[in-house]
Amino acid sequence: MKLLHNNMGYYLKEVKTLVKRDISSNLLSVISLAFIFFILALVFSLGISSDFMITQIEDQAEISIYYTEDANMGDLIENLLSIPGVTDVIPVDEETAKEEMTQILGSESRIVDLFDHNPFSPYLDVAIQLESVDEISEKASSLDGVELVRDNKEVLQKLQEISGIIRLIGFFILLSVSIATLVITSHLIRQGVYLNRDSIGTLKLLGAPDGFIYRPFLVNGMLTSLMAGMLSLVLTYFSTRYLFSQLSGSLPFIVLPGFTDHMTTLVVFTLSLSVLLGIFGGLMGIKSTKPKNN
Amino acid sequence: MITTKNLSLRYKDGTYGLEDVNISIPPGKIVYITGQSGSGKTSFIKLLLGMERPTSGELFLLGNSMNKISERELRNLRQQIGPVFQDFKLLDGRTVNENVLVGMRFLPIKKEAMYEKALKSLEKVGLSHKVHSSVENLSYGERQRVAIARSVARNPKLIIADEPTGNLDKKNSMIILELLKSFRGPETTVIITTHATHLINDEKGCIHIQVDDGKMTLEEVPHETSS
Repeated sequence: MKLLHNNMGYYLKEVKTLVKRDISSNLLSVISLAFIFFILALVFSLGISSDFMITQIEDQAEISIYYTEDANMGDLIENLLSIPGVTDVIPVDEETAKEEMTQILGSESRIVDLFDHNPFSPYLDVAIQLESVDEISEKASSLDGVELVRDNKEVLQKLQEISGIIRLIGFFILLSVSIATLVITSHLIRQGVYLNRDSIGTLKLLGAPDGFIYRPFLVNGMLTSLMAGMLSLVLTYFSTRYLFSQLSGSLPFIVLPGFTDHMTTLVVFTLSLSVLLGIFGGLMGIKSTKPKNN
Repeated sequence: MITTKNLSLRYKDGTYGLEDVNISIPPGKIVYITGQSGSGKTSFIKLLLGMERPTSGELFLLGNSMNKISERELRNLRQQIGPVFQDFKLLDGRTVNENVLVGMRFLPIKKEAMYEKALKSLEKVGLSHKVHSSVENLSYGERQRVAIARSVARNPKLIIADEPTGNLDKKNSMIILELLKSFRGPETTVIITTHATHLINDEKGCIHIQVDDGKMTLEEVPHETSS
């Protein structure tokens, strides 16, 4: 540890010398890794956005119950509240239903005004625990005065399926990115070790330990990957900002996470991953050259 | 300091680098190893630096058996040796000072002391005015002096100079040889290999080893005699 602390300045200087000696390889590695990390960041971004949407929908789980004209509202609400899993029942009249749809449609809401009369029916907004949706729907359907029970089960199931697919794709992309980063970084480091084999030989003859000799190469791998991660975040920032503005403008009913929180998560994830992969790639590169240099 | 018992080094192609060598070198000596190219001088240096292992016989160096030395022991041993090579083996792209410092950075020396030692050793070899010069901009003689400064800054018990004058003219060769000899101390032995016998002065107490076809003959110049 003392060796590391005393020689930090030396290691960084050595990294500078290593980069200068093979500037094109270092530059190309940073650029190619940056694009790889960019793809990963986009998929990760999609994953956390879909997770956020599902959580939001789950938290607001509710079913709508439409009733017949002769239904007794008081009895119906009482009966609904007695079903396990029902947490609240709010009556919604025709006008409120119309207002809600106007809000959801946003700039497209003028379509609602085209009708001569209000096309929406009154209903009961029933807040539920999502895991009990099947039992509640079944029991509510059998109650007197209930005409139709509409739940979001299909929508939620579809979203969960999409989220699962995104997670699976994300996992494979994460795996591919990790392998590609390890290969590129280890190759860069192996090339660096080869180009500096004379210096390494001299240091060995002077009795330098391997930790001292190879640490600059490890730092080089880590910095290359970290720089690529940072570059990819610049690309991700602009693309995500564009996507968020497009989605919230044209599809207002899509619930998106806050942009700043979203970017913070992406920064932490991408930078941590790039540092870790850079270190492992560097270690792999060094390990693959060691037997030839002993 | 150095003892060999029936030491031999046989290469994979069957040729002998050294054959049945029995010598003993005490500490605090100047040792000249002379002989024609290919006679076995470099083979002996390679054995001393742990670049080769004896194929038979024994070699003891600074209390270590080179036959069964571990990687860690070899590293510790090398830290007590100051090697000087014909091709200097300096680190390109670095300054004179950095080349001297790099030989000490992994030793248990405090940072301030390390910088002081580097400067002092560069003063000793007459290069204190080129501390920040890049080694590529130095003459061959100056590069060899940087290599010597790197070697002696570590306070080694053994300085091994393999053909240190091989790339130099006569004037620079004499300067380098005198410089190397000046670093001999009561505990510090200086070994110099050369095929240029005309450059050697047989100072009193020095050891002269003649290598011929892998065989070594040791001769110590008596203290009473001076050249």
